[in-house]
Amino acid sequence: MKASLDPSLLSIPRFLGLLYGRIDRSLSIEEAWEKAMRRRLPSYVGWRHAFGGITYFLFILLVVTGVLLTLYYRPTAQEAYRSTQYVATEVPMGWLVRDLHVWGANLIVLAVLAHMARVLFAGAYKPPRETSWFIGLLLLGVVLAFGATGHLLPWDQWAYWTTSEVLFALGQVPLFGHPAATLLAGGEVLSDATLNRFYTLHAILLPWLAFTLLMLHFTVVRRYGVAPPKGAARASDSEGVPFFPNHLLRSFIASVAVLALAISLAILFPRPVSGPADPLNVPGELTSTWVVVDVSLALVRYIGHWGFTVFLLLGLAMALLPFADRGAEYRLRRRPLVLALGVIFFAGFLIAWAVGARQSYEPTSATVRPGVHAEALPSSGAAAPSAEVAEPGVEADDPEPADDGGAPGGDQ
Amino acid sequence: MTRPSLGQDYGCVVCHADMRRAFVEGVHAERGIVCADCHGGDPAALETLPAHSGDFIGAPGKRETVELCASCHSSPDLMRQYGLEAGQLAEFRTSRHGQLLEQGDLNAPSCSDCHDSHRIYPPGDARSRVYPTNIPGTCGSCHQDADMMAVYGASTDVIDRYLESAHSAQLFGKHNFAAPSCIGCHGAHSALPPRISEISNVCGHCHVLVQSAFESGPHGAAAARGVPFGCTDCHSNHGTEGTSPDAIQATCARCHAEGSEPAMLGADIESHILHASADLLRADSAIQQLVLDGRDVTDVRFRYQSALTEFSQLAQVQHSLDVQRLDDLTLRVSSISRDIRGAAEVSAERRWEHKLFLIPVWFLALAAIFLAWVKLRKVS
Repeated sequence: MKASLDPSLLSIPRFLGLLYGRIDRSLSIEEAWEKAMRRRLPSYVGWRHAFGGITYFLFILLVVTGVLLTLYYRPTAQEAYRSTQYVATEVPMGWLVRDLHVWGANLIVLAVLAHMARVLFAGAYKPPRETSWFIGLLLLGVVLAFGATGHLLPWDQWAYWTTSEVLFALGQVPLFGHPAATLLAGGEVLSDATLNRFYTLHAILLPWLAFTLLMLHFTVVRRYGVAPPKGAARASDSEGVPFFPNHLLRSFIASVAVLALAISLAILFPRPVSGPADPLNVPGELTSTWVVVDVSLALVRYIGHWGFTVFLLLGLAMALLPFADRGAEYRLRRRPLVLALGVIFFAGFLIAWAVGARQSYEPTSATVRPGVHAEALPSSGAAAPSAEVAEPGVEADDPEPADDGGAPGGDQ
Repeated sequence: MTRPSLGQDYGCVVCHADMRRAFVEGVHAERGIVCADCHGGDPAALETLPAHSGDFIGAPGKRETVELCASCHSSPDLMRQYGLEAGQLAEFRTSRHGQLLEQGDLNAPSCSDCHDSHRIYPPGDARSRVYPTNIPGTCGSCHQDADMMAVYGASTDVIDRYLESAHSAQLFGKHNFAAPSCIGCHGAHSALPPRISEISNVCGHCHVLVQSAFESGPHGAAAARGVPFGCTDCHSNHGTEGTSPDAIQATCARCHAEGSEPAMLGADIESHILHASADLLRADSAIQQLVLDGRDVTDVRFRYQSALTEFSQLAQVQHSLDVQRLDDLTLRVSSISRDIRGAAEVSAERRWEHKLFLIPVWFLALAAIFLAWVKLRKVS
């Protein structure tokens, strides 16, 4: 009873569980808890180190909203679109969960890249932390894969044709492009098989991969600690600022701010829906709802399929960076290769994003398919097809408007 | 009896291989017709003189060609097995082409000018010169020849005007083979320009309801009294186009003085159609917004189709100049459009209500951040 009156959080399980004492004796829960409460982080750990935590928070947000979405989503070509509509319009707060998921996917990319930029420019990839860097790059790939697979799931015209366009460009990459694109698509064109594969990747395979990589990432970060600035000596575990409550409060502030931002974006800029996916009808323009799709569309348009090759080469260069830059130099101006690589990668991403967000064009992948024709869009830019207005002079059985050649009259 | 084939032992092909190549592509070769059936002669002979002996007629002239083709194609007994009509010769004799040929004018076409002499495809074969999309080109081979048409004082821009017409847009653009080419209005073998009094019947062959509305109105009554007025007075003949809604009043003003009662009626009709058109456009925009909002638009699109049906009736009813009926139809279009826009407004209202969530979200977020910040400063 006396132990159960302990005001700490563990008093609850102690009060409720008669077996808690035995469990605690074998697993040392109390000891682990108090050790976690006593943990300190070096004094040089500041707000700039928050991006990693923000990324993790967004990942948790995506997991929670994703699980909620799976309660209603049906991963078949016949039902995907309608189930998405149902979630967005009928399920209580479904619209918020869905748009939080969409905006979470956008924000996590930006958070990952901000985290990556901080690590890159601070030289925190140098030994002994190169393993953490590699795992981080893999996690970046997993985040991009999550978004790429999730983008198709609403199965509307934009999702279908954007994915078709990106897979088509991927298929042009030398050596492995075509096999990879065919494997992902489950055939030469997008179909029910593609949706199934993408859903399996998105909801089963990638989460396991992400959790595994995250655990490894956290383990390595805990093992080697946060990298000190400019190569200074690493602080001992007994020095620094307590994680609880100082850094926990900082993490809480950052998480609340990011959550409020995500909710605001979800409310103010809900993800619009275009018409249901139609393999025989190409929309007049592609509208993207994910940051990386904007980047991909810009790369595909201006560089062609080589855009993906360039991106992969940049990723490879990033991965090889710890081998190239192993010295003790941390000043950025003394590391021109790193500076150049970082600027090309991050500035290039931002520029491609800005360009891709503004452009619209007909998917080139549609031109290789017979029987596919572009639908004329109204000026509002929406891709939803609807009946065209028939002008006078057209019979009821002729739904297409007659040509309007200007002044009528006889030419007899 | 076994019909001879056009193999190497068929004498004609020894010299006329090029004509054989053309002939075997056509439908006559499939029916076992051979050279001698039309040209006569002795196909067993391999020398010119004996081959060209007997009933050999050589290359028939235009009038002979007509008689020759008609020798089979005017026989109902012979054509019945192929499901073909047998009245082409009779029709041709009534046509302007037939009349000119009868008078000895060799500019006039005979059968082979349109159907080709050897490479004769059925009209349903896309390679045929009388396949629907090929007919303007076939007719244009003479009717766009300035030198030839100058003899008859006929214009040579009819094909060009046709190619800009709504009929051409349907035929070539939409592959709608119900749309007329030259023969749809002028007839094929009986080709003649319709008389003014016949025009509404020609157009009404397809535009049945429009003709019915026209004849029930004052324009139709005037035409019945003998006033030379028909469809082409507003819509033109070869460059046939639908009158744009905003050009109706101007069209009426071509005959009716400004400010006159008929001119005012024309303005009224234009106003009705423009209003209905605008209502449809607004409904269309509302549907697009509903789709963007993720709403199910099946019912709404069904209602929109109903509005389109009413609007299509406007297009017909306007020819009767019955303002009361136009009123009814316009009101129905407007009502459906209002319902659709109402659904979009409800959706927009819900989006607006979602924005109210921002107030508690930011209140709680700022409060939490503030409290955490205060605590952080205290522990720091």
